[in-house]
Amino acid sequence: MDKAIIVDHLIKNFEITEKKPGIIGSLTNIISPTKKIVRALKNISFVLEEGELVGFIGPNGAGKTTTLKILSGLLYPTAGFVEVISYNPWERNPEFLKQISLVMGQKNQLWWDLPAIETFELNKAIYEIPKREFKESLDELVSLLGVSKLLNIPVRRLSLGQRMRMELIAALIHKPKVLFLDEPTIGLDLIAQEKVRDFIYQYNQKNKATILLTSHNMDDLVDLARRVIVIDEGKIVFDGLFQELITRFAKEKIIKIHLGGEVDIKKLESIGEVKKIKIPEVTIAVPREACAVAASELLQNFPIDDLTIEEKPIEDIVRQVFRGGITRKAAR
Amino acid sequence: MRKYLSIFKISFQQEFVYRLNFIMWRIRNVIQILLIFFLWDSVFSEPGKVLFGYDRARIITYVFGLIFIRSVVLSIRSIDVAGEISRGEFANYLIKPVSYFKYWFTRDLSSKALNILFAIFEFSLLFIILQPSFFMQTNLIYVIFFLLSLVIAILIYFLLVLLFSSFPFWYPEQAWGSIFLLFIFTEFLGGGMFPLDILPKNIQNILSFTPFPHLLFSPIQIYLGKLELGGSLKALSLSMIWVIILAFFVNKLWERGLKNYKSEGK
Repeated sequence: MDKAIIVDHLIKNFEITEKKPGIIGSLTNIISPTKKIVRALKNISFVLEEGELVGFIGPNGAGKTTTLKILSGLLYPTAGFVEVISYNPWERNPEFLKQISLVMGQKNQLWWDLPAIETFELNKAIYEIPKREFKESLDELVSLLGVSKLLNIPVRRLSLGQRMRMELIAALIHKPKVLFLDEPTIGLDLIAQEKVRDFIYQYNQKNKATILLTSHNMDDLVDLARRVIVIDEGKIVFDGLFQELITRFAKEKIIKIHLGGEVDIKKLESIGEVKKIKIPEVTIAVPREACAVAASELLQNFPIDDLTIEEKPIEDIVRQVFRGGITRKAAR
Repeated sequence: MRKYLSIFKISFQQEFVYRLNFIMWRIRNVIQILLIFFLWDSVFSEPGKVLFGYDRARIITYVFGLIFIRSVVLSIRSIDVAGEISRGEFANYLIKPVSYFKYWFTRDLSSKALNILFAIFEFSLLFIILQPSFFMQTNLIYVIFFLLSLVIAILIYFLLVLLFSSFPFWYPEQAWGSIFLLFIFTEFLGGGMFPLDILPKNIQNILSFTPFPHLLFSPIQIYLGKLELGGSLKALSLSMIWVIILAFFVNKLWERGLKNYKSEGK
């Protein structure tokens, strides 16, 4: 398989001016602005194969969007090597631009005052899509996303969820080979989220498109991404299968027991952290390495009808990743 | 080419969405012209009076010519460029296979097309109501030079707008100030308020080293035949040189601006 995206030792620094609060702060800022270098990306490297769908996650301000912007040619890298489908994004070669798309959940390209179909027609011209092809992919996208009745309504009158689906159509009408999705489900209701998610999955499968997806939505990742790259404070702290992320960062296992008689809960606490009590069910979290010992201890000393050992829920782990910090400790 | 035709079409439609805005903008233009018209009309009320080398017919032609030339040269859409850069919407175009400059130039052209349609209507209306004495240029060479000077003026103004719109690359929070400065320069130094040759000679000399007189003043002068043949050619070549200088600087500035671009916002 070919490599769709190569990022090698990428560094991006921003120079920002800091402003102290208040009027005095504003005035001193005019006379002697305090410049500060923000190191947004500190030497990151990763590779995406053609057709891969990878989740790109991390807490706010970790550098996810900066990376996507560099990959789509919006930002000039400070140092390092970047290649997307054999192009240097910064050169913005028209042939390159025809094959990529960047969707930002909080940004819109649709013409606000006109019906969405007008933007699509404009993109048809900009991307030089042949008429037949345009009609085919438009029909397909419209029916997949269920927006056929909304095409002729001015965008300003659409709901957020409807608009986001239109944004997706506008971004995909030229059938990009590489897709950068930045929070594609942000602000959508559950049903719309699911529609968008299904759609991304199908698009990836059908077109063998390479997709790099950032999201704070757990379901997006669980449903879509087999592989995840975790970035925090401008560094990549994990790159591998989602399943591996779970085992790597899950320091605890969950033991669920079904009690067969009266038990002193205090005693249970000596074995592990009691997470939930709903007699006769009790949930205890124990360190991964002590799991077997804890289980046998439980069976020996307590009246137990049934016992199961489970992994920590994915949600908890991903939540840790989003919160940041914890990943650093754990990775050490 | 078809790319830009589509941009022209959608931009034209967009102008229609803001019908009310557009009509107000046209009314503002008409009132401005009326004001200048009555001012000069009363100055030249004595028959046969010649002031600053203008007789009544020529000054009235200057004022009426402004209706038309303003629509051609000064009506733009690219006024939104600075805001787009500072709000980050600019990114939408950077990731598409389309030239940002050509994109905005096309949108400007569509705005000009609409404005010219209205200008012709206003021109005729005011002409019927005010019945001014109008100077018709009959020398074909001057008319051709005049049209040529308009094309150059459009280019100069477009480049100036891009130049004055590039500040947000470095200071995203400062989108508007510089553009307003450009508007004031254009009105006063470009001849939008009065013919520049009524100014003292030394001020005129200084102005001749700026691109502004080529926006409104020179085209009308050429039409009126005030520059004669040699003067017209000189004005045309000077304005061409300005196009080249500005194009060079805009290119350099945008190249550097893009590298500094932080793609902030929303």
